[in-house]
Amino acid sequence: MLDRTKAPAINPVELIHFVAPERIEVGSITELLWVKEVDDEAVKIDFIFNAGKLRDKKIVAELTGELLLSGTPEMTSTEFNEAIDALGGFVNIEVGSEDATVSIYGLTTTIAELIPIVMDAIINADFSQKEFDQQLQTLKQGFLIAQEKVSTIARRAFVEKLLGNTDYGRLTQLEDFSSVDRTILVDFHAAYYLKGLMKICVVGNIEPAIIEELVQRAKYLSAEEEHSFDYPFETKPACVYVKKDGAVQTAIRVGRILFNRKHEDYIAFSVLNTIFGGYFGSRLMSNIREDKGYTYGIGSGVAQFRESGYFFISTEVGKDVADAALAEIKKEMERLATEVIHVEELERVRSYSIGKLLKGSDGPFAMMDRYLAVERFGMDLSHYDEVIQTIRTITPERLQELAKKYLVWEDMIVVKAG
Amino acid sequence: MIHFEKFTLANGLRVLFHRDPTTPMAVVNTLYDVGARDEDPNRTGFAHLFEHLMFGGSVNIPDFDGPLQRAGGESNAFTSNDITNYYDSLPAHNLETALWLESDRMLSLAFTSQSLEVQRSVVIEEFKQRYLNQPYGDVWLEFRPLAYKEHPYQWATIGKNIQHIEEATMEDVKAFFKRFYTPSNAILCIAGNLELDYVKSAVEKWFGEIPSVQVPKRSLVQEPVQQEYRIKTIERKVPSDAFYYGFKMPGRTEEGYYTTDLLSDVMGRGQSSRLCVRLKKELDLVAEINAYVMGSHDTGLLMISGKANEGVELEQIDIEIWRVIEELKVAEISSAENQKNVNKVRTTKVFSEQGILNKAMALCLHELFGDANGINLESELYDQITPKEIWEKANGILHEKNCSRMFIKAV
Repeated sequence: MLDRTKAPAINPVELIHFVAPERIEVGSITELLWVKEVDDEAVKIDFIFNAGKLRDKKIVAELTGELLLSGTPEMTSTEFNEAIDALGGFVNIEVGSEDATVSIYGLTTTIAELIPIVMDAIINADFSQKEFDQQLQTLKQGFLIAQEKVSTIARRAFVEKLLGNTDYGRLTQLEDFSSVDRTILVDFHAAYYLKGLMKICVVGNIEPAIIEELVQRAKYLSAEEEHSFDYPFETKPACVYVKKDGAVQTAIRVGRILFNRKHEDYIAFSVLNTIFGGYFGSRLMSNIREDKGYTYGIGSGVAQFRESGYFFISTEVGKDVADAALAEIKKEMERLATEVIHVEELERVRSYSIGKLLKGSDGPFAMMDRYLAVERFGMDLSHYDEVIQTIRTITPERLQELAKKYLVWEDMIVVKAG
Repeated sequence: MIHFEKFTLANGLRVLFHRDPTTPMAVVNTLYDVGARDEDPNRTGFAHLFEHLMFGGSVNIPDFDGPLQRAGGESNAFTSNDITNYYDSLPAHNLETALWLESDRMLSLAFTSQSLEVQRSVVIEEFKQRYLNQPYGDVWLEFRPLAYKEHPYQWATIGKNIQHIEEATMEDVKAFFKRFYTPSNAILCIAGNLELDYVKSAVEKWFGEIPSVQVPKRSLVQEPVQQEYRIKTIERKVPSDAFYYGFKMPGRTEEGYYTTDLLSDVMGRGQSSRLCVRLKKELDLVAEINAYVMGSHDTGLLMISGKANEGVELEQIDIEIWRVIEELKVAEISSAENQKNVNKVRTTKVFSEQGILNKAMALCLHELFGDANGINLESELYDQITPKEIWEKANGILHEKNCSRMFIKAV
């Protein structure tokens, strides 16, 4: 008879294979990265431009990105969309703080035709008044809808307190929608797209000739200089409450300025973060969701910037238990500093984290992301050996030390909205 | 082409295996043939609440997630109106840990009152977070009962209201488990760099001794053919007016499902679709407009939805939507327009089947439809659809008496 109370033997993960993409020079600081080990027809190409929201008013960067593929003097936006759709392709644009990414999704059989259509649209984008007006309206509607959410209200208040003295802290205001016009976008496009291509990332099993042609086309867009990401990051602890009538839940954000991957404590702190709020079995989830039932979900993390980063906790809880939830968050934070973590819990986090790393390195798309996550900070894949080493060897004492240093309730910005 | 092997245990559990030598991970996906449509109309939201309880410990193992995390894995699940699907992913050499955990909760749960009380609160917070505390969050709570008068699709998976979740008892929980959580009502798929013989013996070891229980055959009230145009307008404190149209269409495995899917693409998938070009680009009436199918297993809905531009009346949008519909009923679309949508379906399929988790889920779903190999036949089915069939479908379903329309007026 099978003894079901006994767990099957568990074997540790021995080795994780990290494969660097092939690197091809495009311009003086622009590169093409290529992962070609794809076992089906899927092809994804990302063009990363130095055209993030730090470069101008947030709304200017967003609108320029959104309108990038909305027509040229030769081709209306509908004609462009027809051409992409006819090939079964998809395009997407993401405008982040530090950069903007244009993505093409296609198949090995169609990608060679998709590339020139998209690149032509990027290069010759003309930001017609009609397209501008339509996009502004869409963006404004999205803005107004988001403003109704307690999660957005809390995030904005948090960002304002945390990053208000840097360009990362710029928030879009309703007035911005009436102060922007198409000529501002034309200038932004010229400065940050036509001379702003930083990187091309290709995942796909395609012919080298296609890559070669892509490199030739992309040369003209290559960035000539890196822009600055340096700002005076510092946390001034604060408590903010934003009232929202009729809300049945309260959104909570807690956090502080911290650091990014380049910092010597980053990897170790990531382990501490996993324990605190970084996975389903975390202290925050176990207490505030699985014991108290205050929320559908709660988590913590480290958001990274090029020259800094911040730690945050994020949740939405029942309106009547918001203060009780905050008290528990504080208690859990203090518990990490006052009590040494139990070996059994640490072992679980070690195994979980290594498994997560293995899963996050599975397949060509994941491998590209893995590479970019370190390359962005001037590191290479050997960084992950250090990650694995730290996860395997970090001690309870070291984790407690880090909690005492970085997870101090009095250092935090605390925001409630609801 | 997704290769797979299939075998069935003596207790009725259907098992699929997909071998992928390129990944170090393994996936264990378990689909239970139970969804919100199987609920008692007076106890809705139950299939989903139950999904939460499946993580609250099983008969021999007090904690589900801990042992999986110790094996380097993680897990999650989702509930729809039609199915409940659980998945674990972990390093392939620890496969047995997932089989141990999944088989024990198929055998029986711990049924602790602590788990029920906590998950009841968690689900109520989920209800608030997703349906009540968001602009437009309650759309489906309002729209479903308009479109469905008899069929249990009239309620959302979260349930009709919070009271039903508040009133759930341990007795209900146990009865639900007994009725639906049995080997013959489940489909298991294992994917990873593993050998068939090993998978067979490991599955037999952990699942083989679970007793076989006959599941009563599903007999749901089917939705009678709609006979009237159903119109409803609600007022909400939202930034923009919004509109929702639902046309009854064939269920997922019924004749005409794929044709209707392509018809919805012609109407409103992407920026070059008919509705988008006319109402957004040419007439400036809407900030967004889409058409899509819900993918329901029983009689489903082809939806058109979107949001009005500032200062535009919904009545004006309504006229233009019906104008586009009438055009589709008059002339067949060109073969180029048809091919465009078939090509998009093809790309979407390649990307949506990336990775072993997506493959395992899709295999289970197709097995539920009758044959896991259906996953490999879909592309060809789309390829064969002609503009004439789409035109016939448009004439068959795109009319007022088959339509439910809801407006949200911003106040």
